[in-house]
Amino acid sequence: MSRAQVEVAGSEAAPGRTAAPAAPRRRRLTSWYPYLFVAPSLFGVVAFLLLPVLIVAALSFFNWRLLSDPTFTGLDNYRKLVADPSVSHSLGVTVLYVLLCVPLQTVLALCLAVLLNQRVKGVKVFRALFVVPWIATPIVMGLIWDWIFDPVNGAINSALAVVGIQGPEWLSDSTWALPAVALVNIWQHTGYNMLFFLAGLQGIPKELHDAASTDGATSWQRFFTITLPLLNPAMFFVLVTNMIGAFQVFDTVFVMTDGGPSHGTEVFNFKIFATAFREFDFGYASALAVILFVIILAVTLVQVRYFNRRTTYDLS
Amino acid sequence: MFKKFGIYAVLLVGAFLSVFPYLLVVLTASKSRGQLNATKPWLPAFPPSLGNIERLLGTGFPHFLGNTLVMTAALTAGQLVFTTFAAYAFARMRFRGREALFWLYMATLMVPTAVTVIPLFLIMRQLDLVNTWYGLLVPYLLGTPYGIFLMRQFFRGIPAGLEDAARIDGAGPLTTLWRIILPLSRPALGTLAIITVISSWNNFMWPLIITSGDDTRVITVALSGLKGAVGVDDTLMMAGSLIALIPMVAIFIFFQRYIVRSVVLTGLK
Repeated sequence: MSRAQVEVAGSEAAPGRTAAPAAPRRRRLTSWYPYLFVAPSLFGVVAFLLLPVLIVAALSFFNWRLLSDPTFTGLDNYRKLVADPSVSHSLGVTVLYVLLCVPLQTVLALCLAVLLNQRVKGVKVFRALFVVPWIATPIVMGLIWDWIFDPVNGAINSALAVVGIQGPEWLSDSTWALPAVALVNIWQHTGYNMLFFLAGLQGIPKELHDAASTDGATSWQRFFTITLPLLNPAMFFVLVTNMIGAFQVFDTVFVMTDGGPSHGTEVFNFKIFATAFREFDFGYASALAVILFVIILAVTLVQVRYFNRRTTYDLS
Repeated sequence: MFKKFGIYAVLLVGAFLSVFPYLLVVLTASKSRGQLNATKPWLPAFPPSLGNIERLLGTGFPHFLGNTLVMTAALTAGQLVFTTFAAYAFARMRFRGREALFWLYMATLMVPTAVTVIPLFLIMRQLDLVNTWYGLLVPYLLGTPYGIFLMRQFFRGIPAGLEDAARIDGAGPLTTLWRIILPLSRPALGTLAIITVISSWNNFMWPLIITSGDDTRVITVALSGLKGAVGVDDTLMMAGSLIALIPMVAIFIFFQRYIVRSVVLTGLK
């Protein structure tokens, strides 16, 4: 046995001396793990979310039609879009679409959740059936509703014909096209929203309602003063996610109306798509995308502030 | 008594409206063109015809279905692996910049897909990846901030004592994750998998933009093309829709509880 080995063995036996140098080495080694774990997703977030946001913001100051090099045009795109009637029209269509969808699919979901919370039988079966629309591929559902709204053979006009009413041409009718497209979204999201309200309702202690009843509160009063405020977390989540989703609607419009009739359903996301990938005006499309981002951000922040002020109560 | 009856009536109407479009797909897909004109849309035709499905099987449709399967499998696998690693690090490991990074992730939750599609296309064009499998998959392969948020919430709920015990026994982070954390996380991973499968299967805008040839065409893009290509052939379109819906409905029937659990995971219950 050489002297060196003896020394190593001896030093290992003496805890006071070895623990100190060994421990930092191990800690340094393990401390690489978190970065290793985070690295792939961080690369994804930076390369495919942050970088694109920067690119879109930068491109909005350029004129670029892919074939030639981009030329810097300053605020030209923004000046153009402010004066562009098709942009304000598209914005109006989008806002109308959001206002058709979000209130209905929220209120209906809340009603269904309240009904399901009334100690009815078969809650699980009903819950499952209500969520079924949520799994449907939007493109597929667009096609199916397109067929349901078919003016001649479609289910709706056939049913109306039975009672002697001549139905409109839904998707080619400038009045009905947008509500018809909105109906698909309402149909698809009401049930899933209901899940969040139902979970919220089940978390409200029964004693609160009992106490209020003893004090003579009617069921309507209890709903508005106890149930609704306590559902704030669910309400916040549903409203924010539904609004963000509705502002970006694309698939159903693409497959049902292609923005028509005469731009009647040309929602903002569709407008961006058409500007970029049909007119190849990438600079202008980027400016439109920035506008959509700002609108969605603003609407979200307003809701965050609103719900923050109406604080939720932790009852657990 | 009367009130209970009313509740059931409303619930039944709601359930019927939820399921009705699905029924209509099955009914319409199984009609020939002649039967379509001769029957009311909500009534079945006898004998049911498989002609539409056979016609679709003779086209590129099975291939496009296969492409969607490959895309869904790849995106789901990527999401599960990379999300788990990142979420575990954010939930349980100490490292410099953790809070800042996590908030960066949460901020990107606010970025609408609509905004990133144009620059992503341009990036892929620069890399010469337009109309390739890489271009189709890479931007969504490395895990989403939403998935990381869900899994982090779940991991934080697992008692820390278990990991401490493993560490004292000399297990490294990988062993701890694999042996202790993952077996306890099956419900959350199942939910994440189901959500990812559904959203990947339903993917439309990005495939529409980034792919153009048959090699990478997925079923949603093929279906939207079918509408323009054949004019109005409702029975064929419903047959295609039926084929695209069946896997989702099957998943729903078997894994419904995982979808319901997504509500719990967002921390709202």
